Amino acid sequence: MSLSQLLALSFVQHAFYAVSAVALAAGPVGYFVVIRRQAFAAHAIGHVGFAGAAGAVLLGLSPILGLLVFCLGAGLLIGVGGATLDDRDAVVGVTLTAALGLGVLFISLYSGYANATYSILFGQILGVTSSDVALVASLSFGVLAVVSYAYRPLLFVSVDAQSAEARGLSTRAMSLLFMTLLAVTTVVAIQVVGVLLVFSLLVAPAAAAEMITNRPLEAVLWSTGLAILSAWFGLFLGVWIGGPVSFWITALASFAYLLARLNNSLHTRRAQRAIA
Amino acid sequence: MNVLDLNDGVVALGGRTIWRDANFALAAGSITAVLGPNGAGKSTLLKVILGLVPLSQGSLEVFGSPPERGNRRVGYLAQSRRADELASVTGRDYVGLGFDGPRFGWGHDRSKRDVVQRALALTGTTSFADRPLRTLSGGQRQRVALAQATVFRPELLLLDEPLAGLDLAAQAEIVDLINLIRDTTGAALVVVAHDLNPLATIVDQVLWIARRQVRCGSVDDVVNESVLSELYGHPIEIVVTPRGRRVIVGLEEEFAHPHPHGHDHSHEDVHEHLADLYREEST
Repeated sequence: MSLSQLLALSFVQHAFYAVSAVALAAGPVGYFVVIRRQAFAAHAIGHVGFAGAAGAVLLGLSPILGLLVFCLGAGLLIGVGGATLDDRDAVVGVTLTAALGLGVLFISLYSGYANATYSILFGQILGVTSSDVALVASLSFGVLAVVSYAYRPLLFVSVDAQSAEARGLSTRAMSLLFMTLLAVTTVVAIQVVGVLLVFSLLVAPAAAAEMITNRPLEAVLWSTGLAILSAWFGLFLGVWIGGPVSFWITALASFAYLLARLNNSLHTRRAQRAIA
Repeated sequence: MNVLDLNDGVVALGGRTIWRDANFALAAGSITAVLGPNGAGKSTLLKVILGLVPLSQGSLEVFGSPPERGNRRVGYLAQSRRADELASVTGRDYVGLGFDGPRFGWGHDRSKRDVVQRALALTGTTSFADRPLRTLSGGQRQRVALAQATVFRPELLLLDEPLAGLDLAAQAEIVDLINLIRDTTGAALVVVAHDLNPLATIVDQVLWIARRQVRCGSVDDVVNESVLSELYGHPIEIVVTPRGRRVIVGLEEEFAHPHPHGHDHSHEDVHEHLADLYREEST
């Protein structure tokens, strides 16, 4: 089958729409994950989602429903309990462990087809249906709309919580809002890359973007652009060469981070030499 | 009319009285230094004025009405953080957050650019405004933070430890800038500090908080042996150097052994405090 024939297949097109929508939400949300230093929370929410998906499968429900319920629950819990940096790690860690324990229990109770578990862990983008695409796209666009609407207050609270509080913003309310957005973004990202590789879309492009520019709006655009490019080329390589799409996306996003990092340290060294 | 009037103010947090019987007023164009040991409630005082912490008794009027959160006529400089705790944003973006950071929505205010530019010019930060905050020196970062706090030309400006962690040259620069802000904007300024000396030349009024009490008055009225001895409950001596600097003797342990911010330390009981010091040293 030629490449053009491959790309014309409906499951490939579904995958294309899904990864595009997910990258559009993950890029901006990822930027805030990085500047708020909440990568651990992002990691935890994904794993909590795994327990939810396993539970839903056990009950014969759609895994995405379980993902949504558990991820949102974990997001709110972390948002309420970990609004201040001091106790954030502990709250995240305990939430993560409790949920993973439940996940183990659900899997041991579930004697059916293990492929469902596999696709939650590693993503199965080429298996999404058109109704999946509609759900993923509407959640992603919802996240994008809210993030852009709350962009300035989110940035203010993330960069300088004390001043933001003094100017009338509630750190706690913004933390809750952000954790909700992060939870929904995690759910959609899991559809593409799975629980274990959620960082590839949520953290790697944003971390690279933060290396590239110090202007927040530019960083959001870079982060989104890199997420979309990783997702598109990852899908393309997965279809063309073979191998899991989530592997390719992860490899590309990590490579983008590596390049940004190298470029950044070269730049710093040049600047230091200029001063010396 | 005064910018601020506090009458018989009492603040209690979690059932514990932080300070009581606070009475003072701030006039436009005045600079008030707030001094006292760590944990005495100096930052809490600023939070009360900002409307973030309520008075449990007494009355407070800011511009003739109760304090309200997010009032643009009140500027605030929070305690500075270490460079590695800052996100990588430029000074210009950071100052811009003071302008429209609290505002939700998709629109963009076209006046932002000029307002930010003016704040940068006032604080002398234009030349490094496009560098990321974490690459600036402590003094430069503090100037940028002052630009953010003054972006709306507030009539009341609250500064929490603006001189902390700066070397003497940078302290002098910030003191000059504080004075300049007062002269150009006519704002009333409240400056929380550890040491009166760097501020002594520009201060009109001193507010000293210790052992849950608050004393307010001119420098000579408050920073004298009898008032401070009464405030601390043990003899305090003040030596004035030939250049007019005051060395306060009897508080050494508090300045020689500073506690990190957030570490609660009421200093109510000197014996207990000494016992603490002993325990910390022996571990």
